[in-house]
Amino acid sequence: MAKLTAFTMPKWGIEMSEGLVAEWMVSEGEDFAKGATLTLIETDKITNEIEAEAPGRFARILGEVGVTYPVGALLAVLAEGDASAGEVDAFIAAFQPADASFAGTEGDTASAPAAAAKPDAAPAIPDTLPISPAARARAIEMACDVSQLKGSGRGGRITLQDVDQATSLAAPLKLVGRLELSPQGEAFASPMARRLAAQHGVDLAGLSGTGPHGRISRADVMSKAATARPAPTAGEAGVERIVMTPMRKAIARRLTEAKTTIPHFYVRRRVRADRLLAFRAAAAGPRASVNDYLLRACALALIEVPQVNIQVHGTEIHRFAAADISVAVATDKGLITPVLRNADAMSVGEISVRMAELAQRARDGQLRPEQFEGGSFSLSNLGPYGVEQFDAIINPPQGAILAVGTARPEPIDDDGAFRIVPVLHLALSCDHRAIDGADGGRFLSAVAALIEQPERL
Amino acid sequence: MQLSRDALLHAYRRMATIRAFEERLHEEIKTGQIAGFTHLYCGQEAAAVGVCEHLADDDYIVSTHRGHGHCIAKGCDVKGMMKEIYGRRDGICKGKAGSMHIADISIGMLGANGIVGAGAPQAVGAAMAAKLDGKGKVSIAFSGDGACNQGTTFEAMNMAVVTKAPCIFVFENNHYSEHTGVEYAVGTARDIASRAEAFGMKVWRANGSDFFDTYEAMADLLAYVRGGGGPAAIELDTERFYGHFEGDPQRYRGPGELERIREQRDCLKSFRARVSAEGLLDLADLDAIDAEVAQLIEEATTEAQAAPAPDPSEVADDVYVSY
Amino acid sequence: MTVMSIRDAINHTLHAEMERDPNVVVLGEDIVGGNGTAGGPEAIGGIWGATGGLYAKFGPDRVIDTPISESAIVGAAAGLALAGKRPVAELMFADFIGVSLDQLWNQMAKFRYMFGGKTTCPAVVRMIYGAGMNAAAQHSQSVYALLTAMPGLKVVMPASPADAKGLLTEAIRGDDPVMFFEHKALFTMKGEVPDGDYRIPFGQARLTREGGDVTIVTCGRMVSFSEKAADNLAAEGIGCDVIDLRTTSPMDEEAILDSVEATGRIVIVDESPPRCSLAADIAALAANKAFTALKAPPQMVTGPHSPIPFARELEKAWVPSPAGIEDAVRRTLAFR
Repeated sequence: MAKLTAFTMPKWGIEMSEGLVAEWMVSEGEDFAKGATLTLIETDKITNEIEAEAPGRFARILGEVGVTYPVGALLAVLAEGDASAGEVDAFIAAFQPADASFAGTEGDTASAPAAAAKPDAAPAIPDTLPISPAARARAIEMACDVSQLKGSGRGGRITLQDVDQATSLAAPLKLVGRLELSPQGEAFASPMARRLAAQHGVDLAGLSGTGPHGRISRADVMSKAATARPAPTAGEAGVERIVMTPMRKAIARRLTEAKTTIPHFYVRRRVRADRLLAFRAAAAGPRASVNDYLLRACALALIEVPQVNIQVHGTEIHRFAAADISVAVATDKGLITPVLRNADAMSVGEISVRMAELAQRARDGQLRPEQFEGGSFSLSNLGPYGVEQFDAIINPPQGAILAVGTARPEPIDDDGAFRIVPVLHLALSCDHRAIDGADGGRFLSAVAALIEQPERL
Repeated sequence: MQLSRDALLHAYRRMATIRAFEERLHEEIKTGQIAGFTHLYCGQEAAAVGVCEHLADDDYIVSTHRGHGHCIAKGCDVKGMMKEIYGRRDGICKGKAGSMHIADISIGMLGANGIVGAGAPQAVGAAMAAKLDGKGKVSIAFSGDGACNQGTTFEAMNMAVVTKAPCIFVFENNHYSEHTGVEYAVGTARDIASRAEAFGMKVWRANGSDFFDTYEAMADLLAYVRGGGGPAAIELDTERFYGHFEGDPQRYRGPGELERIREQRDCLKSFRARVSAEGLLDLADLDAIDAEVAQLIEEATTEAQAAPAPDPSEVADDVYVSY
Repeated sequence: MTVMSIRDAINHTLHAEMERDPNVVVLGEDIVGGNGTAGGPEAIGGIWGATGGLYAKFGPDRVIDTPISESAIVGAAAGLALAGKRPVAELMFADFIGVSLDQLWNQMAKFRYMFGGKTTCPAVVRMIYGAGMNAAAQHSQSVYALLTAMPGLKVVMPASPADAKGLLTEAIRGDDPVMFFEHKALFTMKGEVPDGDYRIPFGQARLTREGGDVTIVTCGRMVSFSEKAADNLAAEGIGCDVIDLRTTSPMDEEAILDSVEATGRIVIVDESPPRCSLAADIAALAANKAFTALKAPPQMVTGPHSPIPFARELEKAWVPSPAGIEDAVRRTLAFR
């Protein structure tokens, strides 16, 4: 019986995820000595040879020259002794690349609840079973059949951790694999510092260490790695280079994704705002902003035309019962969109108060995650800047966004008479994968109707 | 044997200092200001001084839990000692040691020790070092009738003999190991020296409550040891005025025992009597020393009471040279 | 570079240090052997061989055979150190700290602190430890956890010849009391040792295998066992950092935490029973200081809560094995 081992795509450095087989130096069946060069692998960072760690022979070579394979993929089968073709085939069939082997146990089958969780399948937990109170409660909650569990506590007692392990569904494991032994060198550095220095090309000599007894630590190497990026060329006068903040980068990424993947279409309408402005002026109590009225109008319209009150997720459309509207707030760090939840259930006055709170929290950087995540619709208002009209980019996974400009005096047809009144330009951007033109039009009409009859708000 | 006038005055000063130091502590401890355990040496001064008057700074001694007398006899700074016992920052050991662990390595005082019998092997080690240095230095292990039963003492005696280390075992037999009498606890009762003899070393015996008796026996012994004779032991018979520790109700004492000890075994009294009877010294000189000693102890006490406590930030200092 | 065994590295270091510094003194039972016998000194040459040849070179004043008196041996070492020498005492079996514990625990460990920092105790106590030679319950224990817990002592256990030389040199030249653990089953382990003079500072762990998936922390003989396990696992694409602590007091916390923060999974291999062990100490460190990085509970690979048995099969079952270490790695990877 031969001993067969896998020869796989190696992992050089934590970032490498795949490599290209550039050349094979030995052929199938050819004996090689320890230290012989076997193959040349190319990655986007380096090209490197793999040397034989022991004398041997490739019983089968699978990796094709010029083809890229992920780290861990089977490139060849090493054999000690003779192996039949059948044995080699069996080995190849049984081989699981490191990533896939763990992924296979979760993956799609995990979306169906595990057998243990069938609500009516779990038998009652006997009183005499050694199990902690918390574990018992969790088992009942998760409908877990503890009679099958081997407890890890003293004397086989079942612990909370045992129940959680039996019932949890976690993400697949991604293995990093073996790393090259970092060079030892003369420098007084911690083991991780050496590794990171090697990976990031930082020279340890001359680095001053902040670790115990002045040892170079991980932090020392990483701060050098961060500052090692080439400094901007000083030559261009009058150009200030600003590195994007993480927040700016996130905005950039999301909106690029939205603009390139969502098929936007635009529905536009002019709306008379004189009645709204008068209604607002006459309202009692603290004065709400025009934007607050618009929010209320959008909220009611979303309930009236639920086809627009959606989120798009892949091939699914999620339709919402309440109107959660994201409102754009400009802060000095960038655009933040806190979500006004259940706007349809709030009066204009309540909306006003809530918006003031959210806007302030947004500016202070104190929004909690649940306060800016989600929402099914967005409202963006550039009126305060004198913008007449514009088209906004949809915030995925939402289905639409309304862009509002300033109220400008324009001529309208007022029941046959020619009048000049403040007019708002509304532009609705819709995701055509989920919203059709008719829905967009109906929604915009609903909003317009509410603005033009503000007593309905 | 003939001691010079200076030598006699020096010896008396040392004994008087120990007596005054310990008596003052006896009073001050009652106020509750001094923390922990204290074991007073009153009554045994002649033992410590009779031994240490022969020693130089580069001879070593290792002491017991009842160590103030040995410390003073070896030349430790009295004010520093008082501050240490009061747990002050500027005590000899920065307040880290307290009464039971006072040390001053620079003058060969390798430490009082809270573990009975622990000092003996260390004294042997120091004697081995002395032998390597070849300058005729010696090392002294002070032990009591209690320590003479500890395994470490036996191991040390045998080790000293087989390595021919210039180690001297001084057994101060004060008749009590804590609250148990020596008749009961020590199989050879009033004869501890014979144990050392059985281990293979030459032994001496002397009256530890008499300075001259102790001093003369030690002179003989040290000539032997410094001359390369190997380790030796001396048993000093003595008695302590106070309890094992301060606060000890001393219920083990017989009727009139404490009075008898104060009357008949007070080495200061017997020293005065002897130097006066033999015309060696003027008693007025001794009185003058008493007055100076009283002044020193008074200053040491008031200074210690006023001295600053160690800062809590020092609690983990000086565990290692470097870590 | 010279290839030599750990025993030779220790012997070589003792020779070198005794030559360099006349204050270095070696003492212990049968470190010469043969004194007072018909065969004469070095008839035996020292039971472990680590002290061979010293007597002939440096004589009975500096190479001292002692009677069987562990308290006196360690106590004498303490006294020698206080009196300015640099003693290297040997405890033939680490299990004998029981007989000499006061001199280690209440004396050597505490001198510097109790005496207000005004003295040093530069004593080294070499002690031979570990299971794997059927020496049974009283001659096979790994007692480093007990001594690691004592403030004032430093605790060292080399796992390679190069480290044995560098760490012993550091121990002898340093001014603190050092407990120097030599595994009886590692004396014959060979490796490359740099020539010339060098010291390895304490508190600096050595990374002997590198990988990104699991952190294995260990010391002594368990280092090579962990390396075997790591190499087996690497063939499956599972990468392990194997951290050889080298010293448990002081301990290189940073090396452990850096690695755990990268992998999220820690396996501690400790050749000792589990309660109040080094493994428990390091598991607590990981849980305390790397809690948010952990993806699985710390795994401890230890012997059972029992003395070490005599029979071959039983001792084999007692001592952690490379297969057991592999299992622990797989367990931690399987945790959800």
